[in-house]
Amino acid sequence: MRLSSIMATAATAALLAGSAAADVKFGALYPFSGQLALLGEESARGVEIAVEEFNANGGVQGEEITLVRGDAVDNNQAIGEARRLIAREGVKAILGTYSSSRSIAASQVAELSGIPYFELGAVADEVTGRDLQYLYRTNPTAEDMGRMSVQMIVDEIAPALGKDPSEVRVGIIHEDSSYGTSVAGHQERFGEEAGLQIATVQGYPASTVDMSSLVLDLQGRDVDVVMQTSYQNDSVLFLQQANESGFKLGAIIGGGGGYSMVPTAEAVGTDVIEGVLDVDFTQYTVDPAYAPGMEDFVETYREKYGEEPRSGHSLNNYVGAMAIFAAIDGAESFEPEAIVEAVEQIDIPEGETAAGYGIQFGENNQNERAKMMGMQWQDGKLVTVYPAEAATSEMKIGQ
Amino acid sequence: MQTFLQIIANGLMLGGLFAIVAVGLTLIFGIVKVVNFAHGEFLMVGMYLTFLLTTGLGVHPYATAVAVIPILFVLGAVTQRLLIQPLMQARDEHIQIFATVGLSTALINLALLIFGADIANTPNYGVRSQIEIGPVRILEGQLWIFLAAILLVIGLQLFLARTNTGRAIRATAQNRAAARLMGINDRFIYVLTFGIGAACVGFGSALIAPLYPTSPTIGTYFVLIAFVIVVLGGLGSIPGAFFGALIIGLVDALSGFYIGSDLREAVVFGIFLVILILKPSGLFGTRVSQSHVSP
Repeated sequence: MRLSSIMATAATAALLAGSAAADVKFGALYPFSGQLALLGEESARGVEIAVEEFNANGGVQGEEITLVRGDAVDNNQAIGEARRLIAREGVKAILGTYSSSRSIAASQVAELSGIPYFELGAVADEVTGRDLQYLYRTNPTAEDMGRMSVQMIVDEIAPALGKDPSEVRVGIIHEDSSYGTSVAGHQERFGEEAGLQIATVQGYPASTVDMSSLVLDLQGRDVDVVMQTSYQNDSVLFLQQANESGFKLGAIIGGGGGYSMVPTAEAVGTDVIEGVLDVDFTQYTVDPAYAPGMEDFVETYREKYGEEPRSGHSLNNYVGAMAIFAAIDGAESFEPEAIVEAVEQIDIPEGETAAGYGIQFGENNQNERAKMMGMQWQDGKLVTVYPAEAATSEMKIGQ
Repeated sequence: MQTFLQIIANGLMLGGLFAIVAVGLTLIFGIVKVVNFAHGEFLMVGMYLTFLLTTGLGVHPYATAVAVIPILFVLGAVTQRLLIQPLMQARDEHIQIFATVGLSTALINLALLIFGADIANTPNYGVRSQIEIGPVRILEGQLWIFLAAILLVIGLQLFLARTNTGRAIRATAQNRAAARLMGINDRFIYVLTFGIGAACVGFGSALIAPLYPTSPTIGTYFVLIAFVIVVLGGLGSIPGAFFGALIIGLVDALSGFYIGSDLREAVVFGIFLVILILKPSGLFGTRVSQSHVSP
């Protein structure tokens, strides 16, 4: 009995010594295969660049970071991979996930194991606000998207149209999955708070092949501004059919994926998309003075991957990962409680990260300083136009 | 009034679009008695072919039909010969349905692998330009699709009614066992019919590609509504598919405006249910032949 306890102690000591000499592991849980692979991979690259930067400067708490990938190809596999990362790989925290549904599934596993989970890219409201103790989110959300689009109307579009915000008639249209519905709900709420006239809120299935009735309906309601939250197919369809029916609008504000992508502009034509506004994650046309480090990030990205970043996802994940690693570097240990205590102390003001927005966790462990950016298609390019401190070009309305 | 006419015009054009997709499906459904879940993916393949040929050769998208139709014919014929036919011996015919679901998934993922999830834009060569007919405006390409759908329906009807091959196809559909006794090679007829059904959607895809951005999942947008149209019109009835498509197109456009875009699918499927309750065999349907069950 005594012998066995000595042996156990020795084994424990050996294990401890072993772990002190080894690298510290973090999990990178993203969809690396399947339908979402392109932007999942793009998101993970941001984290990889952050890891490289820390390792070049001596790692965190003096230990080199090893990033272990987990492939969250669907919700079930997200759960399985989270378990594997925690139990088999012994990661100290998980970073992820790009997809909201996978984040919601996997973060529950981490919560039960008491491992911190850092969400750097999923936008759904439900990711936070589930009373999870170990889940923190750095990126802006559906609510931020709704807030930003209404702010643009109040601050810029209404004055440019020569109207008081209370005279601006707004049509809100959205694809009818939980993504579009939640953004539209926030737009309606913020719009009403700002005194805008909400003429209609209408959903439609994203797989629609015809939006002419909706366009006619909006025309009949005499709206000045249309806000659309959509995927790619329906963005193209709405812009084309609105244009072809001769629908003249003060402004169109798109939200999310479809409106930010170059193939969308190619599909509808640069003359049709000219002047269309878009609210999304920070992209690379933001003012470098507002987003210090963004240009260095793009350069490192080019060197490492041999191509231009394919979207702003890598940048936003990079910014989140940098803040998290910096906090963990200052923590007392890699114990979950120490990590949580350290990230609670993060206090980065606006204009000091490579994505522009600041980081401080507030209610529900959501980054209260996270912000979307307002962009506009000008001469075939998507440029940042709002807020003023981030803008590289003036917003052009009614020209 | 002008808005109402515009909605009617939009509905008819949408109906023409649905018709050109549904005609091939009803042919396969009614004659080979196979529920082809890969029909939408045939459309997707046809649209990508149109995209590649148009951008690669710099020709008008409509001209690519010369190549797309035969390629889709071969794709359909090969599907019947290599995938469906071996399963005809299976004890449960539903296995064929699952085989087409598998083919659908495989084609979508193949397209994702080759083209990625992004949309591909076929140059439209001016078919997106508008024409005004009285008080309404429609796209030139929509009108061509509508006219092409009418031609396709008339052409297929003449082929089935007037040619020997057409009669053989109808005979096989009506009673497979009797057709075999008359010396008709039913296996060949099935391969031929599946090929023709796929060729129809190939014809449609050359017309649709310049109007809609192509993506790996584009077929799924059309296929559910195409099934509704086929059942509504009566299984295997080609005029049924055409008028069923016009009805669905009109209902979709009218309900989208007067009831709300979020409820239009509910209205479309509601009307579908009502028609089926009143006339279970569909608008143009006849008694369903069970002869495919016999050996």
